[in-house]
Amino acid sequence: MEKKKNIQKKSISYAKWGYIFIAPFFIIYAIFTLYPQLLTVYNSFFEYYRDGLTVIGPRFVGFENYKTLFNLNSAGYVPIFKFLGNTIWLWVIGALPQFVIAMMLALFFTSTRLNIKGQQFFKTVIYMPNLIMASAFSMLFFALFSQVGPINQLLISSGMASQPINFLGMQVTVQSLIGLMNFLMWFGNTTILLMAGIQGIDESLFESARLDGSTSTQVFFNITMPLLMPIFIYVFITSMIGGIQMFDVPQVLTNGYGIPDNTSTTMIMYLNNFLGISKNYGMAGAVSVLLFIITAILSSFVFKSINSNNK
Amino acid sequence: MKKLLSILLAVLMVFALVGCSNNNGGGETPAPTDEGGEGSVLNVWTWNTEFWDFLGKYYADEVVDEYTLKKGDVTIKRTTYPSDGGAYQDALDAALLNQANAAADEKVDLFLAEADYIIKYTNSDATMDVKSIGVTDFSNTYKYTVEAASDANGVVKGVSFQCCPAAVIYRRSIAKDVLGTDDPAEVQAAMDSWDKFNDVAAQAKAKGYYMIPTTNATYRIFSNNTTSPWVTADGKLNIDANIEAWMDQSEDYVKNGYTAYTSNIWGDEATSEMFKTGKTMCFFGPAWYFNFSMGNAQDPEKGCPGDWAICQGPQAWFWGGTWMLAATGTDNPTMVADIMNTFINNEEVCSKLVSEDAQFSNNQAVNAKFAADASYGNAFLGDQNDTAVFVELAKNIKFQNVTAYDQLCNEGLQTYFQECLDGNVDRETAIANFKDYIKTTFPSVTVE
Repeated sequence: MEKKKNIQKKSISYAKWGYIFIAPFFIIYAIFTLYPQLLTVYNSFFEYYRDGLTVIGPRFVGFENYKTLFNLNSAGYVPIFKFLGNTIWLWVIGALPQFVIAMMLALFFTSTRLNIKGQQFFKTVIYMPNLIMASAFSMLFFALFSQVGPINQLLISSGMASQPINFLGMQVTVQSLIGLMNFLMWFGNTTILLMAGIQGIDESLFESARLDGSTSTQVFFNITMPLLMPIFIYVFITSMIGGIQMFDVPQVLTNGYGIPDNTSTTMIMYLNNFLGISKNYGMAGAVSVLLFIITAILSSFVFKSINSNNK
Repeated sequence: MKKLLSILLAVLMVFALVGCSNNNGGGETPAPTDEGGEGSVLNVWTWNTEFWDFLGKYYADEVVDEYTLKKGDVTIKRTTYPSDGGAYQDALDAALLNQANAAADEKVDLFLAEADYIIKYTNSDATMDVKSIGVTDFSNTYKYTVEAASDANGVVKGVSFQCCPAAVIYRRSIAKDVLGTDDPAEVQAAMDSWDKFNDVAAQAKAKGYYMIPTTNATYRIFSNNTTSPWVTADGKLNIDANIEAWMDQSEDYVKNGYTAYTSNIWGDEATSEMFKTGKTMCFFGPAWYFNFSMGNAQDPEKGCPGDWAICQGPQAWFWGGTWMLAATGTDNPTMVADIMNTFINNEEVCSKLVSEDAQFSNNQAVNAKFAADASYGNAFLGDQNDTAVFVELAKNIKFQNVTAYDQLCNEGLQTYFQECLDGNVDRETAIANFKDYIKTTFPSVTVE
């Protein structure tokens, strides 16, 4: 009797508990991510917007929305190409310094030879800007760099400028500010991720390299970088996906207009324009789907190319 | 037992998630309101606090907090979104489209709308005939305020608590320095046409002043005097000749240095010119502009209240105005009507709006009384009788060429044209960028 009971117990399948425990994630994912995603794709094939308080559609139009996206606009270019270019450029000018500085800081902090004191403090400080909401950060810059803002007052009172500089009206300064803000917000985060990666590398490798008399540059390129690659790819791809979805910083800084001359309009700002007062789900859906495809292609391309270099 | 409990919990969690969407599905149907028992919450939608403050001051029994008032048993609640970029319209549209499904206490009861887009709401079923709820006496209101709140068939859907003829608001001390006088009649004589206005601008420049704070400051004068609407009857975007005239003037003013800035009129740049240290002679706007939007000039320390005066300026125009509209489906029709009547027909309230808040009320009898009162003067304007000026100007107001798309057309054009004024793009590109913006924003408008 005793024995039989034991056998019964053993035959109980614990697998279903596994499914039950992971179920909440999948349920939430399905409701809040998968379903809206599918709905977006579905909507992109419809004419569906509001004119005042009148809802137009939904009316099936096939690929019409996608065709419209590639039409020349009044200024004589295809807007989506320009905005994609803007998005990539704005990401690059923020991400490049971000990777370089973050890598340097990560190396400094993890170096056993430097052994920097007060690391916790510095790590907290460099991570701090990431805690501020992007829109609040952008609003702060908007106020700082306005023509009557503190930066201009400082420049004038110190004699470095005779007239207020229109920082928010020139392409160079607007784009630089956006890059600077993205850099400030994200370099701390990247530093911490890269540090974790470097700390995961076996310390004995560094020691033996040093014993063999290799220089810091050699150690970096032949030991640190190759072994850091998986983490670096992760950081790179997440940064890129974040960059393609860049929205709040330029939106707030330029009041949604992407001034000047649409040179700081990003893809998501363009999408947001469709979703403004007319709630144009059809066109916005088409932009989203296009963005999804671009992100997927870029990610797999980057993933493959970095991975193959590694081998 | 444990097994049962965990399954129960898992099921509950799923229900909790699904339950979220069920709330406005109708489970709790609002109590019918036709038996005299009206709702206990009156929801008012606004984009700023101008009207809300008056509601608290002149209508409510008690101001509970920034967002809540009490009148008898009814709680009055404020919902506010900023007007900029159409955010207010956007949120309001969503609420009105959901009106039928909303619980009684969540329904929009009274909402405010501006001249730029009021037609969108009056011409829809979202607003209702105010005569049917008891607002019938329009004998004292200005005719255009009633026309603006009427639909295509002449059914009145709301009322305004103000009338908005606009004027030139000039700095007395600067006018004295430039023209040798700060007397409104003489200043008016010096700038009663655009040519004369430009001459004064040149004189101001010679003395080291700016004529206007920003090129956008004169925009409304031109846009209010157009001869064709932004969007034609067949749905095409149309840039009126008068808008082109504004662009010409703005380019001239930037070239000649008559303007302090080219930026947004609400921005820090333009409003900093309202301080005592400002070098700008003329601002433009109706009564609500100098009593509500010129806070920097009202500032007792950094501003210079009393150093201002108004005159008609080169061209007659009006700007904005806030209308109260009755939302279809309101569960407080009596109170909605009562509020409307208070702000147009209650002589005491309208008088206080003028004497205490420097408003130009929507009650002609009250305005006439103040216009004729020699002892009445506005301290901010150096004791000038602003009501007397506005009574004359109000005669010129015509509500015409309005479309539901005006707000974003006006905002968009000014923003994109600023890039041309700042020298970033040429005029053609600026207009093309504007057209593209309209095309993206309003799919129903054809852009060539």
